[in-house]
Amino acid sequence: MTKQINWKIGGEAGFGIMTTGLSFAKLAVKNNLHTFDYAEYPSLIRGGHNSYEVIVSSQKVTATKKPLDILLCLNAQTFSENEARITAETIILYDASDFELPEKGRRVNIPLKDIREKFGAIEIANNTILLGASVALMGWDKKQLINLVGEEFKAKGEKVQKLNQDLVLEGYNLIEQNYGQLIQTFVGEEKKAFPALVITGNEMYALAAVAADCRYYSAYPMTPASSVLTVMADWQAKAGIIVRHSEDEIAGVNNALGAAFAGVRASVGTSGGGFALMTESLSFAGVAEIPLVVLLSQRPGPATGMPTWTEQGDLLFAVNGGHGEFPKIVLAPGDITEVMETTLKAFNLADIYQLPVIVLLDKVLSESHESISESLVEKYMQSYEVKRGKLVTQLTKDTYQRFLDTKDGISPRSIPGSPGLAYQANSYEHFEDGHTTESALERVKQVQKRKRKMNTYLETDFALPTVLGNLDKAEVVLVSWGSTKRPLLEAVKDVSSRSVAMLHFTHLYPLSRTKLASFFGKEKHYIIVENNSEAQFRKLLAAETGIYIEDVWLKYNGRPWWREELVDRINNLLKTKKYV
Amino acid sequence: MAIKKALAESGLALEEAFIVFGIGCSGNMNDFLDNYSMHGLHGRSIANAVGLKMANHKKKVIVMAGDGDTYGEGGNHLLHACRGNHDLKLFVHDNHLYGLTTGQVSPTSKKGMISKSTPQGMIDNSFDPLSLALTQGATFVAQAFAGNVPALIAIMKEAIAHKGFAIVNILQPCVTFDKVMTYKFYLERIFSLPAEHDRQNLAMALSLVMKAREEEKFPVGVLYQKEKATYTEEHANLKAETLLDKKRYTDFKTLMAEFR
Repeated sequence: MTKQINWKIGGEAGFGIMTTGLSFAKLAVKNNLHTFDYAEYPSLIRGGHNSYEVIVSSQKVTATKKPLDILLCLNAQTFSENEARITAETIILYDASDFELPEKGRRVNIPLKDIREKFGAIEIANNTILLGASVALMGWDKKQLINLVGEEFKAKGEKVQKLNQDLVLEGYNLIEQNYGQLIQTFVGEEKKAFPALVITGNEMYALAAVAADCRYYSAYPMTPASSVLTVMADWQAKAGIIVRHSEDEIAGVNNALGAAFAGVRASVGTSGGGFALMTESLSFAGVAEIPLVVLLSQRPGPATGMPTWTEQGDLLFAVNGGHGEFPKIVLAPGDITEVMETTLKAFNLADIYQLPVIVLLDKVLSESHESISESLVEKYMQSYEVKRGKLVTQLTKDTYQRFLDTKDGISPRSIPGSPGLAYQANSYEHFEDGHTTESALERVKQVQKRKRKMNTYLETDFALPTVLGNLDKAEVVLVSWGSTKRPLLEAVKDVSSRSVAMLHFTHLYPLSRTKLASFFGKEKHYIIVENNSEAQFRKLLAAETGIYIEDVWLKYNGRPWWREELVDRINNLLKTKKYV
Repeated sequence: MAIKKALAESGLALEEAFIVFGIGCSGNMNDFLDNYSMHGLHGRSIANAVGLKMANHKKKVIVMAGDGDTYGEGGNHLLHACRGNHDLKLFVHDNHLYGLTTGQVSPTSKKGMISKSTPQGMIDNSFDPLSLALTQGATFVAQAFAGNVPALIAIMKEAIAHKGFAIVNILQPCVTFDKVMTYKFYLERIFSLPAEHDRQNLAMALSLVMKAREEEKFPVGVLYQKEKATYTEEHANLKAETLLDKKRYTDFKTLMAEFR
């Protein structure tokens, strides 16, 4: 079993928890350790309970684990919230002068109040001191720590920078000098995947979008998609792109359609509620055949729901959103590498097939960081080919017909401004040349043409699900889509049985009945694992392919699947041999 | 057709002017013009136009829509387009009712108007596009009357030549559905701007508009015009080529730096 250390910090909002967590992850990566993190926070700016945990390992790790190794308690609530995860070995750092803790784990008193007084620091400095202590416990280099803290506070001036460096060193030295027996140096040996980036799904979406030559992004802030807007807006100065914080989501999507019509790659980003407002406009994109990439990061609904928590509740909405029948593609990455791959692909697909492509994320994928090899990311970005599909720049026939009926359903598309190739991007049903029509014949022609685009996609660009493990030998096959991939992967590794395999889907809609049939043998026990209450992927798979999976594991309490929950279920299944 | 003449007399080649049409009787003008155009969703023309202009700011972007579309369904986009002084030319065909859906009230109907959707008379006050545009930052605000085509064309040309958000509210009797606000009704109430009107004076324009509203009269002419930087002029990334013509950005290493 590969060694994995699970570190966690908790406290009230506004006390630097998120920053400290990220610092810990970045330092881990500098020590050649793979990281994955998970944060929880309520929909508040101050107060409430925030937590951030990072799991580090010498091999790729994609889920946290139940037993905690190091717990930083900025308040007593952190202890009570995590009591079930504390073992006899858990090192608990806290200020004993601030609150008492029951006798559990290995408690270490860090006199935060005294230290702050010594340096004249305010309460938010607690997390800095504890970061220092954490780094000492991990046996990581002091200098790296000082540099990181220095970088972090550079913008705040030399005085603040030095203060924080002193604070972090104080925490570090305290452990080194008084708790040497607790120090367990943990550094990775594998050099291949490093240096690595520590990046969230949203940040990777933004990066991949820019790499895919997306030049226009409009959005209305909505958790958990908002950070894409922030990152893209920040990159305007460097990358020359244009970002518009629109007055509402309907404006955002229509701005993007205007830009896309003009010939520029465009995207919008939102969550379920915002997507709801955009659906009429998706219908417009579908009939007028305007390329658009929509980032939909799901959170628990319905309505306002639980804004800062996670769910996979909008799959069917993404597939069906937009009145009328029109072609669209729905993709769902399951980890950071897939976010990169599917986003890069999404922009090409949108242009080639001239339709809306939805990239489905969720809170945990949008906001959790994974470490990923920097050279891998660079390789993908540099080798990416921008494919714009059937663009026409010169008039070859007498008149140009934007919606020409073609064998593959895809018509030649002109970029507005080109002489002689003017057309109308029409939301009404139209003739091949774009003018409005109510003719029965022309209507059928266009409907069939649009449908044909989907068939062409299924033949040409539809990606099969990935198999992890040996599908032939497996008796139990766990089916995943989106973020359930990560904890499921860890659970399957933990169980370590040849009878178990995973089938992970990234291209969710449309689905090809003929191409998928071979993956679903009758003798095996399939289980779809989802983060919703309606087993939406089961419904989709059945509707699209006729393949009905009886067994589903559903979780819908706003939290992701924990690997131990999955391990228990898998082991139970194997033990009782229920698949017979 | 006024717009066709205005465009031609403005010396714009077909590829130089993009048009976004609304949904309604006025939107069906799309079939008479051969420019690159978008005929999008009801109420969303301005939103399409904003994005279109940002992608290719060297083209003229014209919006042709109706009062229901622009002031009802699309009211929010109008408001914010004024705020941004987006360089669009908005021509609203204001017949103060919903014609295509056979005769309901629109935001610019008179208070008390009886219609299929308001059989007991519309309770709301009529929407005033002119004062809205004036107070939210539009830099060219005008009103015209469809009964005087040469004057309309002249105003349209001025709007097209103007740099910034231009709105021309075109008073247009609907001969099919409106038996109250007829040509006669308008001829009795429209008035040209007084000689001393200073179109650069915002306060003057606003008070003229509010007074006319009170007296149930309709000013015709250019009420306000100011030279101000447009949205795309103020955007740091659009100082030279258009977003469309820029070279593809490839320095990904620089962007990746913050994740190290």
